[in-house]
Amino acid sequence: MKRTIKKVAQFSALASMLALAACGGGGEQTSGEADGQATDGGVVKADIGVVSYLSGSGAAYGEAITSGLELALEEINAKGEVEINLIIEDSAGKQDQALTAAQKLMNSENVTALIGPTLSTEMNVVGPEADLNGVPTIGTSTTAEGIPQIGEYIFRNSLPEALAIPASIDKAIEKYDAKKVAILYGNDDVFTKSGFDTMKAAAEEKGLEILTIETFQKGQSDYNAQLTKIKGLNPDLILASALYNEGAVIMDQARKMGIDVPFVGGNGFNSPEVIEIAGDAADGLIVATPWYAEKDDPKVQEFVSKFEEKYGKKPDQFAAQAYDALYIYAEALKNAGSNDRDAFRDALAEVKITGILGDFAFDAEGDVIMTPTVLVIEDGAFKVFE
Amino acid sequence: MLAEFINPYYLQIGCFVLINIILALSVFVPLSTGQLSLASAGFMGLGAYTSALLTIHFELPIIVGVIAGTLIAGLFGILIGVPTLRLQGVYLAIVTLGFGEVIRVVFVNWESLTKGSVGISGIPHIGREILKTFKEFGFNPQSLGLQNNQFIFLSIFFLLLVITVFLVWFFRRQSRSRVGRAYAAINLDEKAAESMGINITYYKVLAFTQGALLAGFAGSLYAHVLAYISPADFSYHRAVDILVFTIFGGSEVIWGPIFGAIFLTFLPEVLRFISEYRYMIYGLMIIILMAVRPQGLIDVTIINWIKSKVSKRGVKHGSRSEKSM
Repeated sequence: MKRTIKKVAQFSALASMLALAACGGGGEQTSGEADGQATDGGVVKADIGVVSYLSGSGAAYGEAITSGLELALEEINAKGEVEINLIIEDSAGKQDQALTAAQKLMNSENVTALIGPTLSTEMNVVGPEADLNGVPTIGTSTTAEGIPQIGEYIFRNSLPEALAIPASIDKAIEKYDAKKVAILYGNDDVFTKSGFDTMKAAAEEKGLEILTIETFQKGQSDYNAQLTKIKGLNPDLILASALYNEGAVIMDQARKMGIDVPFVGGNGFNSPEVIEIAGDAADGLIVATPWYAEKDDPKVQEFVSKFEEKYGKKPDQFAAQAYDALYIYAEALKNAGSNDRDAFRDALAEVKITGILGDFAFDAEGDVIMTPTVLVIEDGAFKVFE
Repeated sequence: MLAEFINPYYLQIGCFVLINIILALSVFVPLSTGQLSLASAGFMGLGAYTSALLTIHFELPIIVGVIAGTLIAGLFGILIGVPTLRLQGVYLAIVTLGFGEVIRVVFVNWESLTKGSVGISGIPHIGREILKTFKEFGFNPQSLGLQNNQFIFLSIFFLLLVITVFLVWFFRRQSRSRVGRAYAAINLDEKAAESMGINITYYKVLAFTQGALLAGFAGSLYAHVLAYISPADFSYHRAVDILVFTIFGGSEVIWGPIFGAIFLTFLPEVLRFISEYRYMIYGLMIIILMAVRPQGLIDVTIINWIKSKVSKRGVKHGSRSEKSM
């Protein structure tokens, strides 16, 4: 008797799994058949694939990006100049998942172009493949070096660290007359490591004396060893390439220790969360950003209020960059006049728009041309740094 | 129909399935002597980095890189296998987990060689190299009605398929050989096995090294299929993923890890239509399965059951008394 029950249980477990697999397969096929949109006489229609980090530890980035895209999509389709259909796939922040998601979009869904993936590491895998297949791809959050250089079909509208960090260092030198700096960075994360490389190069170029270079790891909670050493060396500025969660703790501990020099951070440090976590200790953090929500521009204010109304929170730079990216795509699609990948790519390279991030154009390699805004935290809020 | 089948998307998943099968075997083989190793991710990283660096800096052919990567991982397998002989169960798991992390931290910090956490890009891609070679011989995939990228993925897929089928065949044969019987005896009772005259030191190190070789081999293939690696690929999460393939599928027979790797690689893809919820389902299934079938989905009973079903239908069969592998 017991054996029979066991067998029934085994069989039902197997059967349910097979059923699940089968119905999943079916779903996929129907969605595959449903697409296949082409151009007609009037409006250019196109499928745009999105690879985004929607599940896992960095899901907040993917959520911000897809929110920004969806908001832009509604507005663009309502305008009626072009008709875009977004197909969003999850990459879970893993390279192999990002690649299969991109393969699915490029080959099964036959998208005109891709947006994403979220992380630079994922882009390093997806980029060459998309370039080989001739699918235009725009990174909205990939800030590491060498991304648009992957190929001529790869673009980005995210402000690279190579533009952001020198801008903020420049302003800080000007204001505080800094000569000696200490650098602190997370060495086990591609984002903070690449930010550090840029910081070091920028500091050397500006003729700053680098007193020390200290490292920390992801998830570290005690930075006293590094900070004590930095305090003893008495720098004029601290350059910190950190993500906001570690960065905020670093600032908190530094201020408690009596280090009151300003911090210059990279893109990952630029988040309102820093103020939430570190409170008063966050004062004196200088970052360069493409996105400033308080900017006195009707376009920006309209976006912020619409976004808040729809999602109940303030948009961050990732949402803003994604929003602009879809507008860039819409403009390119309109100019190309068809959803052919090559025509779209050529039109994309020529796009010039004024978005919520300001005037925008690509350089010859597909990288961004724009001037970042340098911000500083003062009295618990981001202000323009003069 | 054919064009649908040679969609690079499906072939891409197929490639990852095959690599994951090799990885699952790398846990299965040491486990068949009772050694629970979590070092697979570390060995995989060693293989991947060795092969990537050799092919980039010395412009060696991929096959030389892959062999070198496999051997380096195997060498480390011996180095780790010998001193950890006396450890069993969770203690061995902790040591091997520690080893994996050490390897990862070395990759992060040895920046002059590995470029740190930024990772290595521009690794020669197996499929693209095969295409190049074929083109040199005057062969053009268009003559078969294939696009370049279809040909690239088709060639990788078949290459990996041949390799994986060979490996599965090899380890099935091995489990019925003198070596496999020794593994099984050690797994059941080490002391009894020793008193029967089995050299347990030799066989345990052999099993551990075979696991390391397999992981290193899979790692070097992974590097040449993805063309980009970074230390984050070989972290603790990877070790757990690989372990889950084997535990989920069942660690008693070789079909267990194979099934686990196939099923758990397909599952997230099949569940794509529910987007961000898919990993919840993935987790839930593992919890349910572990509660209901702690020995894994496929075990000896199931294999025998399938065999009896097959033979009842009158298909030719061997002697029933033969123990299923």
